Amino acid sequence: MPNQNSPSRYGAVAQAFHWIIAALIVTQFTLGWTAQFLPLGARKVARLDWHKSFGMTILTLAVLRLLWRLFNRPPELPAGMTTIEKQLARATHALFYVLLFVMPLTGWMMSSAKNYSVSWFHQFTWPNLIGPNEQAFNLLRTTHDTLSWLLFALALLHILAALKHHFWNKDDVLKRMLPFTKTEK
Amino acid sequence: MKKLALAATSSLIIAAATAAAATAAAAADSAASFTAAAEQSRLEFVGVQAGAEFKGVFHKFTASVEFAPDALASSRIDVQIDMNSVDSMDKDRDTTIRSKDVFDVSHDPTAHYVTKTITKTATGFAAAGALTLRGVTKDVPIEFQFAPAGAGAKLSGSAKLNRLDFGVGQGEWKSTETIADAVKINFSLVLKPKT
Repeated sequence: MPNQNSPSRYGAVAQAFHWIIAALIVTQFTLGWTAQFLPLGARKVARLDWHKSFGMTILTLAVLRLLWRLFNRPPELPAGMTTIEKQLARATHALFYVLLFVMPLTGWMMSSAKNYSVSWFHQFTWPNLIGPNEQAFNLLRTTHDTLSWLLFALALLHILAALKHHFWNKDDVLKRMLPFTKTEK
Repeated sequence: MKKLALAATSSLIIAAATAAAATAAAAADSAASFTAAAEQSRLEFVGVQAGAEFKGVFHKFTASVEFAPDALASSRIDVQIDMNSVDSMDKDRDTTIRSKDVFDVSHDPTAHYVTKTITKTATGFAAAGALTLRGVTKDVPIEFQFAPAGAGAKLSGSAKLNRLDFGVGQGEWKSTETIADAVKINFSLVLKPKT
């Protein structure tokens, strides 16, 4: 499989970005949502420590992924799709990219506002984006939490759409993002 | 006549020399007394939580300082810290820090540091002293600079200690993976002459 995208499928780099970030997002939901139910204590601090390190990893990968995408156009959507379907698909993907940045950034700002600086796997510390501020923290936490539900809904829509394309429309939309598969053309 | 004058002169010199020596001895014995001006002084600690440093301060503390660079034997720094005045710029963390497992402020509301000996170093001064924290007394060395300013002075420096030596962090807070053992202390005291 070539590294670059072709007109009919995603290349190895785009696929790696997609699946690694997807796996990290699943990890983030598990860590973030379960941490909420822990009492304030060492276990919660430790779980959020992982959540922050993975979050900053996603932010870094999102920057690289966006750059890769800007210089490497994705394959064309299937010819059979209507204009509205194509616009919806593009809007969904654009919103994904927005969330890939906004989720880590609001999380990073939350940590800064609470004066809990973000470490990257205990290797180095990211600078604080804003100063300690309780009101800002509360607002950011609500935003981060609300957007996590939006991201969850979007991911569900994304998965259902991929399955619909594969089993209903019987096109290459799912296969072109899967390694070890062949696409026509 | 000449002989007499010579004798008188030499006895005068001896007297003057003796007086000067006495004055010098008196100066060497007396360090100046100061207290820290609370509003301009700062006592800060830097801990590592989840791999990232965080700073906190103690808003309330008193410092009594006897110090003269040429009278180190009689110099002494004595600091009393109100542990309840801890502020790490997060209410949740402050509540945890005051709790039984960490500072246990309801049981030990005050920490105390007092120097034993002060010596001159290449860059300033070093002191050996004892810190009493959470009911445990251990030696903690400090390094500091002393800069006279008018009638007062500025005393600033730092120290390093291991929180677990004092039992700061019991139960779940013992883990050094979550909270590192080493804690840095930075202080900057604005000293005014004791009245």
